[in-house]
Amino acid sequence: MAAQATTAANTAERLDDLHGRYLTFHMGKIVYGIELAHVLDIVNVPMITRVPGLPNYIKGIINLRGKVAPVIDVRLKFNQPERAYDDKTCIIVVSIRDMKVGLIVDSVVEVLTIDDSESSPPPDLGINSSDKYLKSIAKVEGRGVIMNIDCEKFFQNDLNPF
Amino acid sequence: MPIDPSMEPMLEVFIYETTTLLDQLDEILLDSEKSKCFNSDNIDAIFRIMHTIKGSAAMMDFKGISTLAHAVEDVFYIIREDTSRMDRVSEAIFELVFQSSDFFKEQIEEVQNDHDATGDPTSLINQLERLAAVMQGKDTPEEPGGPAQAAAPAEQAPPADGFCRIRVHFEDGCQMENIRAFMLMSQLKDLCEEITSDPANPESDAGLCSEIIKNGFLVICKPSVPLEELYQVIENAVNVSSYEPIEPAQPAPEAAPAPTASEPEPAPAPAPVQQAEKPQQAPPPKQPAQQPAGTTPGLPKAKQSLVSVNQTKLDQLMDLVGELVTTESMVASNPDLRGLQLDNFNKSTRELRKLTDELQDIVMSIRMVPLSGVFQKMARLVRDMSKKLGKEVEFVTAGGETEVDKTINEAIGDPFMHMIRNSMDHGIEPTEERIAAGKPAVGRVSMEAKNVGGEIVIIISDDGGGLDTERIMRKARESGLLTKPESEYTDREIFGMIMLPGFSTNQEVTEYSGRGVGMDVVRQNIEKIGGSLTIDSKRGEGSTFTIKIPLTLAIVDGMELQVGDTTYTMSITSIQQSFKVSEDVRILYNTDDTEMVMIRGECFPLIRLHQLFDAPTEVTKLEDGILLLIESGENKACIFADALLGEQQVVVKPFPNFLNKYSVKKIGLSGCTILGDGSISLILDANNLLNLSKERRM
Repeated sequence: MAAQATTAANTAERLDDLHGRYLTFHMGKIVYGIELAHVLDIVNVPMITRVPGLPNYIKGIINLRGKVAPVIDVRLKFNQPERAYDDKTCIIVVSIRDMKVGLIVDSVVEVLTIDDSESSPPPDLGINSSDKYLKSIAKVEGRGVIMNIDCEKFFQNDLNPF
Repeated sequence: MPIDPSMEPMLEVFIYETTTLLDQLDEILLDSEKSKCFNSDNIDAIFRIMHTIKGSAAMMDFKGISTLAHAVEDVFYIIREDTSRMDRVSEAIFELVFQSSDFFKEQIEEVQNDHDATGDPTSLINQLERLAAVMQGKDTPEEPGGPAQAAAPAEQAPPADGFCRIRVHFEDGCQMENIRAFMLMSQLKDLCEEITSDPANPESDAGLCSEIIKNGFLVICKPSVPLEELYQVIENAVNVSSYEPIEPAQPAPEAAPAPTASEPEPAPAPAPVQQAEKPQQAPPPKQPAQQPAGTTPGLPKAKQSLVSVNQTKLDQLMDLVGELVTTESMVASNPDLRGLQLDNFNKSTRELRKLTDELQDIVMSIRMVPLSGVFQKMARLVRDMSKKLGKEVEFVTAGGETEVDKTINEAIGDPFMHMIRNSMDHGIEPTEERIAAGKPAVGRVSMEAKNVGGEIVIIISDDGGGLDTERIMRKARESGLLTKPESEYTDREIFGMIMLPGFSTNQEVTEYSGRGVGMDVVRQNIEKIGGSLTIDSKRGEGSTFTIKIPLTLAIVDGMELQVGDTTYTMSITSIQQSFKVSEDVRILYNTDDTEMVMIRGECFPLIRLHQLFDAPTEVTKLEDGILLLIESGENKACIFADALLGEQQVVVKPFPNFLNKYSVKKIGLSGCTILGDGSISLILDANNLLNLSKERRM
């Protein structure tokens, strides 16, 4: 499944307008979406090298085809309990401000087009600690509710120099 | 005005070319100044350099650069005509050309940073023009009559020889005007007895395009067929938009190229006068004679086999080769192959290993650049300072061909400049003092580089006054830098004190040095690139600074250590010894429970890596693991790891930028590397580790 999504993300869609296209993934029972424009690759979890002195949600660095990239456990970032990685766990490699970062998620679902009319802005006062990273909440026919992550907000803490 | 976006790709080429030319210019100037005059080769070379800079700057629309280059070119035009003219003003010429070269460099830097050059060279141009006038003024008797008269023969001479001139304009935006001009020339060649053009040999220099677009392309020929036929050919040539025969009797005053075009003609004399008359609009005087020799103006032939490459591409290549090497060992030692009898496979992988090793060596060598560039900059610095300080100094270099990694080459420029400044300012005594001390009046500063093992050793020495140990001691006492009784300091330790922060012995702060941030910054910069600095000096005889720097930063000979499930790499140069805790090694405890190790009567702080990095491991008893005595500069300590995994050459990679916010470097890690099995190892920075442990103890 991961491989399929990769091909999909890398080929035809890449050329099209990526607006409104999201890669969805599972975190527990919740489905999250991330803008496809940010997604570079989906890989299996390789050996992660722990780097001292980092916040707990940055699990360390990985060898991404000869390049070194940091990986973030989305569960920890969302203050959810950590879970042992299994064969469904994957790393979504995203690009933010020309840097590659890996996001460890429970499992990847599919690439989806979400129309602007289907989504609404997130509530001001979130119930979950993850709400502050959201861009919109979408309700798609037959797919249920999808929480769309705002990449800039998601990484803000790490990108902010202070 | 920022440059046109379509010009962006050209910008890099422009910067590279111009920088190369300016370096060449400095070299020529320094050489010539030594012999106090320009020889004709040098004059031609400077002329060509200026011409090329002018052309390309005009193309990029950097007016300041092009007008100044033009003014310098004019001066050298006059000198070329008659070298005796410069006798009286040679010093002024050198000074002005050096200043112009500095101006160019500043501008190029500005272009590099802001993509625009805004400097105003007017005062330099005025000085150059005055200089040109002086040289010319002196010569007026030789130039028969004023400009009015001089112009006349220029106009009439050509028709007398049966030459006709045709100015050809190409269509706007047809590009490669120089090549089109060349094609036109070859078409016309058969129809003419003699043919030449302005600019001459257009195919040789793409920089001429802008000139051809601006002024048109002037064909000067002696046709062997009726003129009509000639016009026909020109009219039918591709991309020619218009052409105009220039009637010799009525040259338009703004048709500046006309007089210059007479250069190849037997009447070159009037040209310089015209040139001096209106230097602003005069065309580049280009003598065909010098063109056929070198195809690319300003570049010596030896450079023709060189290709300039974008550095990011080189870095990519380097990364790729690193990856290849990694992948290769992943294939060769694949766990799936374990226990199999694979003779042919092993043979092939051995072959492959040989090739990848070779490939890696070559890629590494591409990144190497000779030190001669740095040396040349220092030569220039010595020259300027000796003028300003009124000290005559001879600068001697050796080993400029020694190569270092490009990143290192860039990093050492500043520290060297500081040291040379120190030698010039504090080291070399004023001439009277030197004579009184029985030394040669001319001081001597030398810089020597050599390759010793895996290191480059660079020695900077001067034959000046040497370091005054008493004065250093006094200063150190005043600044409270002493840590033990004065009598216990060795000379070397005393010299070392000048590298402490906030130390400067020169009483007066001068333009060049003595702001108290001197040698400690030098030391820091050198240590940053993994080098070391030692000072030797003898009172009255001079000082010697010895700098050792690694050949390359990209590859480190490392020792792999295991701590928990993480691999760490420590540079072998920092490791003094490794040992197991046994009976002759004693562990001592400080009052605050920090551990210390006593070896052979010396006591070292103990750093447990698993504690420092908070890494879970089962090995916490010192007897089960291994201790390494590491050293950086003056500091030493023992580090404790689970096990040694062996020695390996590793390619250093920086941590991802994403982690910049978290000061991973401050806790003693300088980067990471990908090992043969694809796993990542963290590289330990001995210097930081030791400083960290020192801070904690305070």
